[in-house]
Amino acid sequence: MVIQSQKKAAAKIAADHEGKQGQSLLSKALTPEFDWSDKDEFLDVIYWMRQIMGLLLGLVWGLIPLKGLLALALFLLVNVAIVYVYYNTFQKVDEETYGGTMEILKEGLMTSFSSFLVAWIILYSALHSESSSS
Amino acid sequence: MLSDCILIVVISVCTAFLGEGLTWLMVYRTDKYKKLKAEVEKQSKKLEKQRETETNDRVQKKKLERQEEKLKTNSRDLSLVKMKSMFAIGFAFTALLSMFNSIFDGRVVANLPFTPISFVQGISHRNLPGEDYTHCSFIFLYILCTMSIRQNIQKLLGLAPSRAASKQGTGFFTPPSQLGR
Repeated sequence: MVIQSQKKAAAKIAADHEGKQGQSLLSKALTPEFDWSDKDEFLDVIYWMRQIMGLLLGLVWGLIPLKGLLALALFLLVNVAIVYVYYNTFQKVDEETYGGTMEILKEGLMTSFSSFLVAWIILYSALHSESSSS
Repeated sequence: MLSDCILIVVISVCTAFLGEGLTWLMVYRTDKYKKLKAEVEKQSKKLEKQRETETNDRVQKKKLERQEEKLKTNSRDLSLVKMKSMFAIGFAFTALLSMFNSIFDGRVVANLPFTPISFVQGISHRNLPGEDYTHCSFIFLYILCTMSIRQNIQKLLGLAPSRAASKQGTGFFTPPSQLGR
């Protein structure tokens, strides 16, 4: 009896997995507390989220415009904070399965940082520098 | 100024694709690389799983060590295969870069919204006249563009090294002390 019920449960889990694999990465990312069976997939979500965020924040920083090293620090803070809130309160993943908090917070940070800088610098110098006509 | 910036972004997109294309020609499409990569990936995933279920069994431990050893040699071979083409591409790109450098020589391509810290100023203010450190040289913007664009292209094309493999830290450049972990 016990073995049979165990088998049933296992079959149900397998069916669940198959259903989840059909979903797109975006819909998975937007599902709260999604059960991430593939670790790499979750890290990919974090990675791409960071890239988009870097670009968007760069555009916003350039439009406002924010200046100085403080703005750089603010970007890093916002970036890390959003990722932290996303995985801690929205997805509620156990960071230990990914090798600790730092591993998740580090994922794609440098690339996102350079995307941010490029967007910020280009927009800032196009819109707000005095010598932009030269 | 804006046109310079856009030109630099286009240049770095082109060089990133060129670099990846050349690496594909020389490395990624070869059977040796494919075989080694699949092997390393499989082994790293397997090792990671086995490490989670720690055992005190001596036979098991020995087995684990043997597998680690095998993984190490395989990933070293993989890095060696990559190395040759990296050198070739490195040379080609240095030549390209010096060409662009001479085109943009002494030209302010952008105004930085911040003053870089002193050791970055050497790059961001390279070959520029004056003391205004918010002026940005070609090379600084190019490096930033390459850093973001190249990695994203690699990731999009699925050419970036897998996490499981890089996490094992058994690449060619890993110091031996770390390998012995």
